[in-house]
Amino acid sequence: MQDVGDTMLEIESGSVYFGDKTVRNIAEFLPRDTKSTDSQPARPRILIVDDERLIADTCAEILEGAGFDTRTAYNGWSGLDAMAKFKPDYLLTDVLMPDMNGVELAISVKKMFPATRIVLFSGQAGILEILHSGRERGYEFELLAKPIHPSKLIEALKTQPD
Amino acid sequence: MNHGTKNLALAGLDNDATLGENSSYLLASIVDSSDDVIISKNLNGIITSWNKAAERVFGYTAEEMVGRSILQLIPEELHPEEFEILKKLSAGERIDHYETVRMRKSGEKFPISVTISPIRDRTGQVIGGSKIGRDISDRKRLDNSRFRLATIVDSADDAIISKDLNGMIESWNQGAYRMFGYTSEEIVGSSMLRLIPKELHYEEDEILRKLRAGEKIDHYETTRLKKNGDLIDVSVTISPIRNNEGRVIGASKIARDISERKRMEKVLVQAEKLSATGRMAAAIAHEINNPLESLMNLIYLARQNCSQSSKAWQYLQTAESELERVSHIAKQTLGYYRDTGTPSEVYLHDLVENVLTIYQSKLLTSGISVHSNFNDLRKISVSRGEMLQVFSNIVANAIDAMRKGGKLTISLRKTLASEGEGIQTIIRDDGTGINQENLERIFEPFFTTKGDLGTGIGLWVTKQLVERRGGQIGVTSSTEPGKSGTSITIYIPFANPKISSISDVR
Repeated sequence: MQDVGDTMLEIESGSVYFGDKTVRNIAEFLPRDTKSTDSQPARPRILIVDDERLIADTCAEILEGAGFDTRTAYNGWSGLDAMAKFKPDYLLTDVLMPDMNGVELAISVKKMFPATRIVLFSGQAGILEILHSGRERGYEFELLAKPIHPSKLIEALKTQPD
Repeated sequence: MNHGTKNLALAGLDNDATLGENSSYLLASIVDSSDDVIISKNLNGIITSWNKAAERVFGYTAEEMVGRSILQLIPEELHPEEFEILKKLSAGERIDHYETVRMRKSGEKFPISVTISPIRDRTGQVIGGSKIGRDISDRKRLDNSRFRLATIVDSADDAIISKDLNGMIESWNQGAYRMFGYTSEEIVGSSMLRLIPKELHYEEDEILRKLRAGEKIDHYETTRLKKNGDLIDVSVTISPIRNNEGRVIGASKIARDISERKRMEKVLVQAEKLSATGRMAAAIAHEINNPLESLMNLIYLARQNCSQSSKAWQYLQTAESELERVSHIAKQTLGYYRDTGTPSEVYLHDLVENVLTIYQSKLLTSGISVHSNFNDLRKISVSRGEMLQVFSNIVANAIDAMRKGGKLTISLRKTLASEGEGIQTIIRDDGTGINQENLERIFEPFFTTKGDLGTGIGLWVTKQLVERRGGQIGVTSSTEPGKSGTSITIYIPFANPKISSISDVR
């Protein structure tokens, strides 16, 4: 029975493995800062914060491929900096990070940039208390569990929450 | 008897001329050297003689007491006794080993046993009485403590048994009766071996050998046999009993029923095991989820970067689906399925149909027919992903149990459980069934009846998900040929659990 869950959920959600088909070669977008002068309709902007650089970077590439304009930060404080400079529509942040955790970051962002849609993602078991502390202060955030298949990540971000 | 009385009278009154000086002196010294109190008195109750023992016991000297009333020795509330005594004496009656209370000079009352005999003059007329008394405070104390000991022994919860050096039972308390079921009459005189399971009979030889050597056996944990044949876990302490000379003449055995403790120990060990397993699982999942996320992203990117017709693309696709399997197990192990949305109002039968659709081809190829009866009438607030997980785990198990085809029955109905309204789902297969000893364990983590094919995680997670939602899950199963099958019942209340759960946090 171990291999039913995810398969099932994909059938249910109707998504395909590849997400968006307008895929570009990743090598092209490594210097991401040069993206802002596109003449096309503005791409949704997303800031990805994760202290695991590999995760932040790969997510950025994937989301670039899916039509997002991305930035990455590797800790909560530089994430806050990037928020101020980049003013993204989305914040995708890890939860357990040193110095400033994802919930603290999310709360600050909520205060300073209330229009930002915030999505937390975490692979940790110990985040419930952190989430709970945020909730007690009146903040609730969307949460995705790591590992999440890229196509589902894309879909989650493109779907408006209830 | 008369002879004795006379002698006493002589010793006390010292006015008899029928005996010589010597014998009179002899008698007086006998009286004085007696350990018993020897007093004489006349019929008015006036003391006429007082020996050394009387001095010792009462604390008065002869000078203080001779000529005084005997009432001085009697507690006031017992004064009527003395009149009674005098009356009997006058009638020539003797009073034997009469136990009463007297008073010392210090005012202390003490128990005494007295024998009172009339003293007669030469004509046979009663002229007084002799009193021989023995201070029985010590004996009373002994009696008391013996009585108390007996009571304690009998009221003890422990079995207290004594036996001789041949292992024959000599005494048997109430606790032993309660513990083993034999009455004292049934078992005293028989061998200790009656209480020992056959395979442990050798223990008794060892015990007797140690006892003969004067050794004590402390808190020895073993198994004993009850009258009804049940076994009982006991902790026994066996001590040699010695006689006055210090020779070992038998043994006392105190046995305590530790079945309950043993059971608790087992439960604790089990709980400890489970929580350790759970912690370990969580720790592992935690450590692998992040690298899994990276891997998944990398493979996804790699696949986008190569031609769909290339071999590499094929390999990556396989790698990706293998990775999905690993991710799935990691997520299941952690017991959360949070990526599937907030709780929403759904019909449970929609979810069940969803699951059946997914398994449709598998059900078909296995020759399993599905019979469903949906009567849930009302939407319920659940986490869709979690409930899908629950149903798919159970349906997958049912399919595994019906390798040679069969019938899968799923019924859903609104119920009124004692805790409130909810929806009951029963998923029944007529597969191989689960045998009784495994049935108790199927919700344990890493327990599987599927050998290498199972992870032992599915039902454990299923139970956690159901309980986290405030529901209950139960199982019945039969392996009896012709009637075999397993039935899983899930109850989910309409009301969400009050305690903060993962669904709440989200």
